Amino acid sequence: MTVTLTNPLRVGLRQERVVSPQCLVIFGASGDLTHRKLVPALFELFRQRRLPTEFAVLGCARRPWSDEDFRGHMAEALGDLVHEHRGAWDQFAAGLFYEPVDLQQPEHLVRLAQRLEVIDRQRATRSNRTFYLSVSPKFYGSGCSALAAAGLLSDPERSRVVIEKPFGRDYGSAQELNRIVQASAKESQVFRIDHYLGKETVQNILVLRFANTIFEPIWNRNYIASVEITAAETVGVEERAGYYESSGALRDMVQNHLTQMLALTTMEAPGRFDPEAIRNEKAKVLQSARLADELEPWNCCVRGQYSPGGSAERPLAGYRQEPGVNPNSTTETYVAMKLFIDNWRWQGVPFYLRTGKRLPKRMSEVVLTFREAPVHLFDAAGGSPTANQLILRIQPDEGAGFRFEVKSPGSGMRSRPVDMHFSYDESFGEPSDEGYVRLLADAMLGDPTLFTRGDEVEAAWRMYTPLLELIEDSPWQLPVHPYEARTWGPAASDSMLGRDGLMWRRP
Amino acid sequence: MSPQLTLQAPVALPPPELTDYLDKLWSHDLESSSGASTFTLLVWQPAWVEQHLVRTGRLDGPVTGVVRSELLEAAREAVPACDLPLSISPLSPKLAWALGQQIGNHPIEDLRGQHIDSAISAFQPRRLITLAPTLNHGQPLETLVAAYCPLPGEGTAAACGDVVVLRGDFGALQQGLQLLQPLVPADLPCWVWWNGSLDEAPELLEALAEPGRRLVIDTAMGTPRRCLDLLESRVASGGPVNDLNWLRQRAWRESLAMVFDPPSRRDALNHVVQLDIDVEGTHPVQGLLLAAWMADRLGWHWVESHAAPGDEIRAEFERTDGVTVQFHLTPVPVGVPSSHPGSVVGLRLICKPPGRQALCVILCSESGGCMRLEAGGMARMELAEEVVPMGHATDEWEMARLLGGGHDSTNPLLATAAPLAAKLLPNA
Repeated sequence: MTVTLTNPLRVGLRQERVVSPQCLVIFGASGDLTHRKLVPALFELFRQRRLPTEFAVLGCARRPWSDEDFRGHMAEALGDLVHEHRGAWDQFAAGLFYEPVDLQQPEHLVRLAQRLEVIDRQRATRSNRTFYLSVSPKFYGSGCSALAAAGLLSDPERSRVVIEKPFGRDYGSAQELNRIVQASAKESQVFRIDHYLGKETVQNILVLRFANTIFEPIWNRNYIASVEITAAETVGVEERAGYYESSGALRDMVQNHLTQMLALTTMEAPGRFDPEAIRNEKAKVLQSARLADELEPWNCCVRGQYSPGGSAERPLAGYRQEPGVNPNSTTETYVAMKLFIDNWRWQGVPFYLRTGKRLPKRMSEVVLTFREAPVHLFDAAGGSPTANQLILRIQPDEGAGFRFEVKSPGSGMRSRPVDMHFSYDESFGEPSDEGYVRLLADAMLGDPTLFTRGDEVEAAWRMYTPLLELIEDSPWQLPVHPYEARTWGPAASDSMLGRDGLMWRRP
Repeated sequence: MSPQLTLQAPVALPPPELTDYLDKLWSHDLESSSGASTFTLLVWQPAWVEQHLVRTGRLDGPVTGVVRSELLEAAREAVPACDLPLSISPLSPKLAWALGQQIGNHPIEDLRGQHIDSAISAFQPRRLITLAPTLNHGQPLETLVAAYCPLPGEGTAAACGDVVVLRGDFGALQQGLQLLQPLVPADLPCWVWWNGSLDEAPELLEALAEPGRRLVIDTAMGTPRRCLDLLESRVASGGPVNDLNWLRQRAWRESLAMVFDPPSRRDALNHVVQLDIDVEGTHPVQGLLLAAWMADRLGWHWVESHAAPGDEIRAEFERTDGVTVQFHLTPVPVGVPSSHPGSVVGLRLICKPPGRQALCVILCSESGGCMRLEAGGMARMELAEEVVPMGHATDEWEMARLLGGGHDSTNPLLATAAPLAAKLLPNA
């Protein structure tokens, strides 16, 4: 294994903002997300000296744990990390507390409020609170209402609430959830999380576009022929069958992660780097986006479901054979679609989105394909010149690439495509923080830039409403095509692009 | 954004009535508003250069304490007029002293403490206390108070603050110190910004910078020994301290780190044999802090330092493998100096990994060239050359960054670099 030396001159150079004194209250503290993502992210923030000494975490769930139980479970879950940093963990763990709470029981909220006051005195957290709802989505609305009824969200300067995805199941339910949440707290207190926005490479889309002058003049319908956004996973449904059966790829990936990548790729430049300015532009572009054929969505969308595949040595079960999945399930594990954005910048440019499980590669990327040169002066090695492509690699091998034509060596004037690569690893050689580190810190700092606003979420759901209605009302019009596990999805998906004279990029 | 004035004209009060007036203000007049639960900012704001420029008619008033382009221009013009070398920085205490020798009696409208830079007011200080020493000896203590609230639409809630100005000659301000303690809310962080030379009024600085307060100084302002000793002693005492001179050097640290970000270059850092730093004029502190930071990060052990002709400083370090690293700090004259004395203008690092081509890293300031550092057989080495962007941030903006960062302790990099920089400076 290659070991990369750390850059000693880089250590400590970033002076990140320190979170203000506060107590982070995690509902669903006995759940998977807390010990897999949240507490590790908090411990990382602690080790980066970005948490003040006046800080506490109060875990809440229905299990009758004590503070010590909670600390023990978290230490166990973090395993080696705790052993490697024992001293730091002991300091951090002293700020971990636990209170058994059922959000549906008003008297529990009273007890919670009292416990928070005690913690304020113990840890000098000055009544600043961030409530993190890491609970079942069906409790998001009632959870916010319960917190508001207990007076825990009454101070907009001192209290915030973080809500995990999915925010709603469709346009109507998202509207309803927004109504309940916004009746409980001001929009400035609400942080709807989409962990894709915590990724460096997703944030880099903004920097690439708006910190460089070379891209902006060509970032439009005059120069860009099409855009592909892909999020491919190699894993199957794993232990999430219960959730996945009721969501599918469209709700699980497209409405949030892919749509956020779409918004960042297509939004107008904000007037300033300010949370509301950025979210305004994202909301505006999503409000202009639509399925390519809203009246007959089956023309612009393909659903698929993985069937058995793999190799003789390592066979892979099909989706319907996975534990917990209905053997006759019609839930899609793959979805591809074509969108348009009706505005001056993007009118007529097709956007192709695809995501799927059990595909051959784990990767996410945005590919901008430019228009061909108007006149072909040279012979091309491949018959015709390859269109220029800008590839933003979100994960893995984070970075960017640009494909362009050059003269092929030798006599004559033949052209051939070459690739220019930028790799985060080669340039920086340092792993970037896990998305939750960034997002948790931002939420506790009250910075909503990387969180989705209520109107953004609604615009995203509204875009997919014709599809969701079709799947609900006449699923036979949008059949689920089987595809062999570890292949690039159903053939119908290739045909959808083929009708436009295009092919999916095979990364 | 331009600086903002307080909306309300400050009220001049007899000093003994100050505390009562503020209590009344918050319990009656501003009862409906929640006071900003942020911090107190206590500023020592002599603005000597500005006061003298206005007094001698070289600059139109009022005196605000905020560095603006007209002030820098007038100060630059004053440098040759005062028979000072052109490489003297426009905010140098030497210029203030020279201007003080010149006659002039233009009236000075004094708005110090009332003219708040928008970068700072954006953080809504709960209380902004300005100590404004005047040129007039014997001027008694004046106290001015104003409340301010954000303009409608600026924020979600009306979180107001107040402004207190203590003005008078040095003796009067020392008397005014007793007023200060009750003015600093005990439950909020307090920042003390010593926005003047570190040579002046050491006992006042001592009194203001109580251990729990977050002190901000500028080690470009004052004699180098005093600046580094003060920094070192504050670090040693554990009191939080920030240095604007250190912050202004940020681009150099970042640029140098950037050169070694690609993993393929990192090994070269273990084989450094020479470090050269060029600074503007004769104030070496910024250059020494940069060298000390590198030495600390790379694990070099300081061996000795000595002064060399031409105000050069030479020193030796020992690497962890016992090899010697030579360090030269060279003052270079410049025609148009930066606003603060001693800015770094060039850096050269020579690494000689055994069995491989030597690497020479040259960083030079946007304001000058690298020719001096490019000389001396660099052609045989792999050359990595970068231009370091000039910092355009004002001191107020740097202050605002500190205030926004919320750090309640000394930056650990500065804490380790400060004592080493103090060792690097040869004793006179």
